[in-house]
Amino acid sequence: MLARVKSQWAYIVITLALIFLILLPFDWFLGQYTSLMIFIGINTMVTVGLCLLLGYTGQVSLGQAAFYGIGAYVSAILSKTYGINPWLAMVIAATATGTFAYVIGYLIFRLKGNYLAMATLGLGMIVYIVFRQEGQFTGGPDGMAGIPYLSIGGFTFDTSFSRYYLVWFFCLAVLLISQNIVRSRTGRALRAIHGSEDAAQSIGINADRFKVKIFVLSAVYASLAGSLFAHHMTHVSPSSFGFLASVMVVVMAVIGGLASIWGAIFGAATVCLLKYELLLTFGEWDVVIYGLMLMLVMIFTPEGLFVRLKSIFEQRRLRREAEP
Amino acid sequence: MSEAILETRGLSKAFGGLVALNKVDLIVKAGTITAVIGPNGAGKTTLFNLIAGVYPVSDGEIRFRDVSLRNMPPHKRTALGIVRTFQNVLLFDNMTVLENIMTGQHPRSSYGFLEAALRLPKAHREEEAITLQAMKYLNLVGLGTHAQQNALSLPLGQQKLLAIARALATEPQLILLDEPGAGLNTLEKRELSDLIRRIKELGITVLLVEHDMPLVMGLAEWVIVLDSGQKIAEGTAAQVQRDQRVIAAYLGEEVE
Amino acid sequence: MSADQFVQYLISGLTQGSIYALVGLGFTIIYAVTNIINFAQGEFVMLGGMLSFTLFVSAGIPLVPAIFLSVLIAVAIGALLYLLAIRSARRASAVSLIIITIGASIFIRGIAAEIWGVDHVRPPVFSGSGSISFLGAYIHPQALWIIGTTLVVTIILHLFLSYTMVGKALKACAIRPVAAGLVGINTRAMALLAFAIAAALGAIGGAVMAPLTFTSYSIGVMLGLKGFVAASIGGFRSPIAAVIGGITLGVVESIAVGVNWGPFTSSYKDAIALMVLLVVLLVRSGKLAEEERIG
Repeated sequence: MLARVKSQWAYIVITLALIFLILLPFDWFLGQYTSLMIFIGINTMVTVGLCLLLGYTGQVSLGQAAFYGIGAYVSAILSKTYGINPWLAMVIAATATGTFAYVIGYLIFRLKGNYLAMATLGLGMIVYIVFRQEGQFTGGPDGMAGIPYLSIGGFTFDTSFSRYYLVWFFCLAVLLISQNIVRSRTGRALRAIHGSEDAAQSIGINADRFKVKIFVLSAVYASLAGSLFAHHMTHVSPSSFGFLASVMVVVMAVIGGLASIWGAIFGAATVCLLKYELLLTFGEWDVVIYGLMLMLVMIFTPEGLFVRLKSIFEQRRLRREAEP
Repeated sequence: MSEAILETRGLSKAFGGLVALNKVDLIVKAGTITAVIGPNGAGKTTLFNLIAGVYPVSDGEIRFRDVSLRNMPPHKRTALGIVRTFQNVLLFDNMTVLENIMTGQHPRSSYGFLEAALRLPKAHREEEAITLQAMKYLNLVGLGTHAQQNALSLPLGQQKLLAIARALATEPQLILLDEPGAGLNTLEKRELSDLIRRIKELGITVLLVEHDMPLVMGLAEWVIVLDSGQKIAEGTAAQVQRDQRVIAAYLGEEVE
Repeated sequence: MSADQFVQYLISGLTQGSIYALVGLGFTIIYAVTNIINFAQGEFVMLGGMLSFTLFVSAGIPLVPAIFLSVLIAVAIGALLYLLAIRSARRASAVSLIIITIGASIFIRGIAAEIWGVDHVRPPVFSGSGSISFLGAYIHPQALWIIGTTLVVTIILHLFLSYTMVGKALKACAIRPVAAGLVGINTRAMALLAFAIAAALGAIGGAVMAPLTFTSYSIGVMLGLKGFVAASIGGFRSPIAAVIGGITLGVVESIAVGVNWGPFTSSYKDAIALMVLLVVLLVRSGKLAEEERIG
């Protein structure tokens, strides 16, 4: 009975949220935030991957920006330099990133905790150095411009308005897929590995294989986001994919609540708002604020800001319902 | 009845220079309750960890029915039908009671990432079966009313029962119980004994390491005694209790 | 590569390696006492260089007191890091602590960027810039300062750990934390001391290094990584091994660049250290896992 009421509410909330998302880019509504929302969507995709890996499976990665960058650069190079269809480039990028993550994951998931964190941090730096140094492919530190837009049939995604829908189509698909995975046998296996790896192995879960698989999935998400980023901006440069970019993914995941799929939107939105709307004139202060946020959230609400707010809200509601 | 389900030959394990287990031969007969006892540091836990595959064998052989377990990773042993519990319980603290047991069904289900991501019919079908099976084991250990609670909100006694239920959900042929009685009060120990007998009635072979002598003597049909990494005696509970070497091994240690 | 060149690369490797050794020492001391990897460790090298630059050049304080004061400020920041961020996060998991120290790292780095700007800063050298000729190679006097300082600091640290009550207590915490607590050693004070020492080591390194290699707000991450490599070569247990690890890394990096073949060009200098990191971690991974299981 209660469950049915709850699910009815859920449908209403979801419908309203969808209507909101569909109407948002129109000028008479919140059109001025269209490009902000595109960044939020792209960042959400990267963040969800890290939530699956870090929040659900308990495995740290401080190098997610590397996969984001590989996606962006492979898409950019194939579509611009070699004239390959951008969609095909995107698929090739995701496949290449996934394969790369598989090989790396196979090697490094023998490591745990601090060592894994350092290994992924190092990996991210290596990839960043490659972006900077291989100038004949990547344009070096200046990056490359003139990346074509995506298009379907005769329609080209050459306006922010159209790209908004494109990005959010991908973003919602990634969120839905992730939620389905979390609520499945696979999701339980991932949480089991987080809870106790020894216990997970003891009931027949191949922990190493699941870690590698979820690492690959997170890399593919990041790669798709990177490709969308490249075809949205039409120019890319290494500075978007360095150490700070990887830390930003951690910041977004931490704010959203590490073990929360939909919290990723909240995390990405908070960071993008700060970065693109509120702190434009602040110079490096945004980094200071992110550092402070990481420390404060982990010290006071390790489950994440979004999850904490959600549970406070739910408790209030329960208390209200309890009172006649 | 007399068929061996688990057999070790010359099983040894050394950590650096320290020999924790030295050429142990043992046979566990199918359908029995067998106990491994011994003073602290006798090598009981090492033996368990070798059977479960936590670390590699230094020397010797372990066979489960006719399969050699050497070099087999732990999760494959579980798929084969061996499961273990832990002294320190190790429940999944980020899950409910029911979810803990559902996770135990892992090796008996097969749908993967793709089926889960796209919610294909196979995922649905298996999820229903998993939930049904999990409820069965939940009721077997008498925790049916606690299904939706967080696993760590249970008192220790019930946590231990839950850990056993989670292990049973893998549908094993052999279950290894590592000090299941530790930290339990008299009443909880009686419940535990009953449960272990019920497990045997399900046709599952039980091998347990236990410190609590009355518990062992009341349950085990066959007792193996380890001391300083070696097997020093085995037999029925009554035989072992009269064995001079066993008494000597326990001298200086309080026999509980 | 000729013999002269080899000596040249060896010396430059020793110089760089000295800094890695000091950072690695910092990692090792904190890890041994608290089991925490401080991802902000490299920031103290940055702070050492920046602070001494400000005090010496901008404030006009004589060199030695300027460096002494810089180290003191860095120690205060290290202590605050422990007291405010690490100690408040009780019951924190390893992952939480990683994220907290990463947060501290970018926090310090961001503030440094605000104070000192994003351009390189180069404090003046300690004594003369005329190179000294040695076995056909040239040594910058500042390189001698770097190597010498590292040597002296390492020896002082060794004496401190071996011959003073406080040092022995610190060692006891690293070897047997529970037993150390039982015999009345204040393990929290020891953790604080470990963070303070690590900050001092980094800051000293930063102060002597900056005149030779420049410094900027963003050098912390890479130096932290390389110090981590140094410490992981030494297995995070032995200070001497961390020093040897750091020197080894510096020399390997320098000579690999000297070979100038394929991927080993100067533009990939940092990547070489990172490759060493991955190889060391993977080779040691089996051992590390075993240690974790038993320990």
